[in-house]
Amino acid sequence: MSVIQVDELWKRFRIPHERRVTVLEHLAGLLSILERKRYSYEEFWALKDVNLKLEYGESLGIVGPNGSGKSTLLKLIARVMRPDKGAIKTNGSTASVLELGIGFHSDLTVKENALVYGVIMGLPRSEMRKRTDSILDFAGLTRFQDAKLKSLSSGMQVRLAFSIAIEIEADIFLVDEALAVGDMEFQEKCLNKFREFKKAKKSIVLVSHSMDLVKRFCERTLYLLNGETRAFGPSEEATRQYLEDVKSSTGTN
Amino acid sequence: MMTVLAQKDFKIRYRNSVLGFLWSLLNPLAYMVILTLVFSLLLRVSIPNFAAWVLIGILVWRFFSIGTAQGLSTLVANPSLVSKVCIPRHVIVLSNNVANFLGSALEFLVLVPLLALLGVDLTAYALFLPVILVSEFLLVFGLSLSLSALNLRYRDFYQLWDIALQLGFFLSPIVYDASLIPSGFQLVYSLNPVTRLIESARDIFLLNKLPTLFDNAVILSSIAIILAFGFLIFRRLEGRFAEEL
Repeated sequence: MSVIQVDELWKRFRIPHERRVTVLEHLAGLLSILERKRYSYEEFWALKDVNLKLEYGESLGIVGPNGSGKSTLLKLIARVMRPDKGAIKTNGSTASVLELGIGFHSDLTVKENALVYGVIMGLPRSEMRKRTDSILDFAGLTRFQDAKLKSLSSGMQVRLAFSIAIEIEADIFLVDEALAVGDMEFQEKCLNKFREFKKAKKSIVLVSHSMDLVKRFCERTLYLLNGETRAFGPSEEATRQYLEDVKSSTGTN
Repeated sequence: MMTVLAQKDFKIRYRNSVLGFLWSLLNPLAYMVILTLVFSLLLRVSIPNFAAWVLIGILVWRFFSIGTAQGLSTLVANPSLVSKVCIPRHVIVLSNNVANFLGSALEFLVLVPLLALLGVDLTAYALFLPVILVSEFLLVFGLSLSLSALNLRYRDFYQLWDIALQLGFFLSPIVYDASLIPSGFQLVYSLNPVTRLIESARDIFLLNKLPTLFDNAVILSSIAIILAFGFLIFRRLEGRFAEEL
């Protein structure tokens, strides 16, 4: 049984030529239609006919240059955006860690923020209350629990967010570059958590620029280029293709 | 989740200020004093117990204006909640409205006893207040749904609504009595649901009677229309929220 199945997925963005975002500008735009100057926007296909299938227990890496559609695909799988064509089927509960610390507010205490973020990430409130102490312990922030969030360094804030994010129980984890933060000890803790997920046969969908990370955790990798599938298959092959492309385009060997 | 987000909004509102929630009480009181001085003493408006009368109007108006103005900004002010996580978006708006509802309820709770000090005989009719506040909450929620969705697409709505609220302040009988409106405009004027809410609140506190059938009819039908319209617009625009932020 597949965990994620994406069929002929297309996603379009509209980029207005002149950004008319106010009502007045739109009115002016309507007038210019009358004058036969068309109100124009550029259609930009962020994803073109993407297909993929992920089997139970497998993880997926998504790689590619900036602007190739990686994050868009992740948002579509997370159901934050809707596809224009095609379908995405997911089997099991999803947790999306597209950004760390969503809903954090600098004037609330560390503990209060932990509760807010945990609940936004889908943990029940009662569960969150029970786990706050162990979360703060994991993040190494117990003695700051009643301090306002703004008194924490940005690194510490991210640690807090990540410590909560990994408490989420789900079958599929969608992760966007979130690992590129924290000190080495903390990164190691996170990788351990990833290994636990893998052991529990949970799926991770990882958008990353680290080929190393992708190869370590993901059986399959999708290499996107300009919104199209350049390669999809075993991570070793897909990442090799990406590296070759990068080498040939930059002219290095 | 709604509860936690509402608590959050409620807490943030009073953080970082020495007096905290007291401001919520001092602000309408200051308004009451200013308006009483201007209208009752300088302009010699002859409304009995003007201070109490105007305070009720201010409290009802505050919930409406602050509730909708904040509700309008909720989506734009929380881009990550909209575009980085899959939660029902109307909850973001709703939780802010609930926080303001609680704030308003507390203001009433603390300031109603003050009415007694101002010489108002409080009766059991005052117990009708929750009905008025809940009606107002539904009105604020419906408006916040449309406004927040529209404001996400056209930021002009922030400015437009600001002006609309200023206009609304004078189109509602807050500082003057509704009987001053020329008879030709009375009907249109009286169909304003905020006017009806203010009149209802004055009925139960000052005139010791229940809101009229007309009040209730106007309030209920505007809630139905505005809520339906709100959900419709929100549904319609929600699909592209994440792209447009």
